[in-house]
Amino acid sequence: MRQLLTGNQAIARGFYEGGGHLAASYPGSPTVEILDSLKEYDEIYSEFSVNEKVALEVAMGASFYGARAMASMKHVGVNIAADPLMTFTQTEINGAFLLVSGDDPGMASSQNEQDNRIFGKFANMAVIYPGNSQEAKDYVKIAMEISELIQIPILIDITSRVCHSRSIVEIMDRKDVKPKGFSPDREKYTMLPPHTFKAQHFMKDRLSKLSEVAYEMPLNQLEEVEGSDTLIITSGLMYYNLKELNLDVSIYKLGLVYPLSERRMQELAAKYKNIIVLEEMMPFIEEELKLMGISSKGKEYFSFTGELHIEDIRNGLIKAGVIQGEEKIYEVTDTVKRPPMFCSGCPHRPVFDVLKKLKVRVIGDIGCYSISALEQWDVSQIMISMGATVGMTKGMNKVMRRFQDDQPLVSVIGDGTFFHSGMTGFVNLLHQLDEEDNMTFIILENSTTAMTGGQANASSGNYNKNDDMKVDIKAMLSSIGFDNVREVDQFDYKEAKSVIGEEVKKKGISIIIATRPCALRFKIKEKNFYVDPKVCIGCRTCVKTNCPPIRMKKYQGIDKLKSFIDPDMCVGCSVCAQVCPVGAIKRAF
Amino acid sequence: MVNILVAGVGGQGLVLATKIIAEAGMKAGFDVKTNDVVGLSQRGGMVWGSVRIDKKVNSPNIPVGEGDIILGMEPLESLRWSYLLKDGGRIIINTRKTYPSSVILEKDIYPEDEIKALEDGYKATLVDAVKLAKEAGNIKVANTIMIGILAKYLDIKSGIWEDVLKENVPKKAIEDNIVAFYKGYEYS
Repeated sequence: MRQLLTGNQAIARGFYEGGGHLAASYPGSPTVEILDSLKEYDEIYSEFSVNEKVALEVAMGASFYGARAMASMKHVGVNIAADPLMTFTQTEINGAFLLVSGDDPGMASSQNEQDNRIFGKFANMAVIYPGNSQEAKDYVKIAMEISELIQIPILIDITSRVCHSRSIVEIMDRKDVKPKGFSPDREKYTMLPPHTFKAQHFMKDRLSKLSEVAYEMPLNQLEEVEGSDTLIITSGLMYYNLKELNLDVSIYKLGLVYPLSERRMQELAAKYKNIIVLEEMMPFIEEELKLMGISSKGKEYFSFTGELHIEDIRNGLIKAGVIQGEEKIYEVTDTVKRPPMFCSGCPHRPVFDVLKKLKVRVIGDIGCYSISALEQWDVSQIMISMGATVGMTKGMNKVMRRFQDDQPLVSVIGDGTFFHSGMTGFVNLLHQLDEEDNMTFIILENSTTAMTGGQANASSGNYNKNDDMKVDIKAMLSSIGFDNVREVDQFDYKEAKSVIGEEVKKKGISIIIATRPCALRFKIKEKNFYVDPKVCIGCRTCVKTNCPPIRMKKYQGIDKLKSFIDPDMCVGCSVCAQVCPVGAIKRAF
Repeated sequence: MVNILVAGVGGQGLVLATKIIAEAGMKAGFDVKTNDVVGLSQRGGMVWGSVRIDKKVNSPNIPVGEGDIILGMEPLESLRWSYLLKDGGRIIINTRKTYPSSVILEKDIYPEDEIKALEDGYKATLVDAVKLAKEAGNIKVANTIMIGILAKYLDIKSGIWEDVLKENVPKKAIEDNIVAFYKGYEYS
């Protein structure tokens, strides 16, 4: 049977067909859908863990038991998981172990562009790089076999374009594999010296074994063209983009990008005059070749950042002299931009509207509320990585206090991010507490991990009976030792404004939990609001809340522009009506 | 080969639209590849999807100047991606505007003239799909009306479209979607 699958769905399917037993993940674009898709297979235990480190550890536990395990995460998630990963990879893998990293060339939805192939090498893993959905499925299955055969953990490195692209896949049956069980072996599984000494050699040996096999592995495909003096070495989607150009050159397509077969590479280097490496982001394969003493070129023709489109490849190959012709610089349509906005009814809107009016310094974090750092809001002034707001706020506050700068600081963090890596920062706040500090932490508890599509998190069960975790953030913070934790329903705008205003003024640590759930996952179905243009004074207070349905409009018979709400888009949250100073916004009936 | 670019605003349901078009292509016996934009841009940002249908498709990316059809779920977004179209390409525009942030805040003007000019450069079909969807009794079927219009220009039988729609929309909305599809198919 043939099915049209995304790369993510194909990875899930491959894991299923290959006899996978357990998969764990933390939701992050571009890999969210892998775990979402695994839910349909009863044979596999799957979970979204609290963060990537825990997800990796859950998968490690299964692998130690001899089960086939997979952890999937976005590229920056591997940073969170790096501590257990770097030591786990020293062990002799029992049940197949796959780490799927979703890299994001071009940063469609990421805060950086790190190339995790380097992580794979750093961690002594094999790195496998699929280019379409069929490959994603096949490679996952092959990776599980290799992983058990030479006891190596495997990094499936997949780019966002391949994760989200659909292509046709041949569906097959599941292979039934029983977990091998766990046999204690101190030297293999307890990673402390001197056990780790032997592990260094073990890691080196298994990579050498693999690089020998890589000489003629079906994952790597050589397409030779008679008479071509150029060989293009490439992998993943770049191969398919290259094929669009229909060139008469030899191509070596790598499915296994680390380790390379030195024997194969030296043979090819002797045969071809020009070796060109086509790869996105860092010159990973190019540098591997250079370490072998092979003269190859790549990054002087192709950008080190962003996606490489078919046009970029053509231009690069013209520069390289492989194609004759003129480089073409294409121009995209220069028109009005469309940055993301908070949705109609989004509970973040009133919080950031209040913060904007307070003109206070805000340190932000990762989530839908990152939108508060965009031009139309310009409220969050620093944004780095998951959970970083808490520590950064403390650090800035401590130096400010020493240099007589006593302006208050506000930190915002979502509930998913709080559980992911914000909690430890909160515990750390209690150390060297100074009553003259002025920090206000606003936890945006919308009961879901919203930005990645509304996955449940550790407190979702308090709101939704189908979610099983019911951590009470307020009780948790109180029991840690914070005595000033307040909850507010931010859809009571006046109350929210007064609570935030009071706490920002107050010295010490204030914690405010804003309790409204996400408007996408928990839909608001109220009557819409409308503007009475005769009452509206055109002050734009409602427009500044930056709600998709609200804009200024020319009404017939009225000279001045007045506010207008598109009834098809309004969900009836009432925030605009509450900020209106003259009561011009009313609920339809 | 037909290269289709679906353009719109986050939240309009583009991922499902590209899936439906691609599955219809596959069922008609072709090779297909698609792209989708997923992530933060979902929140009212610019989103797009691509579908390439041919005997064999290598890359899911549409080369600049080789787009055959833009299925524009929103006018500004139709304009934004028009550089991908080939000369004389087709552009199907849902005329219902969604204003971007800078226009709402009166810092930019919605580019009405440039959008109007698309009608001169390309074979254009303009339709208020939201209005037609409301007439069909369900505002959520606007995209299906657009797909119905698109179907006129593709070599895929209407029975295949019906099957794909049935497999991809919620059970209780099947009938509305079939009605919407034909409303689009018969639109001129």
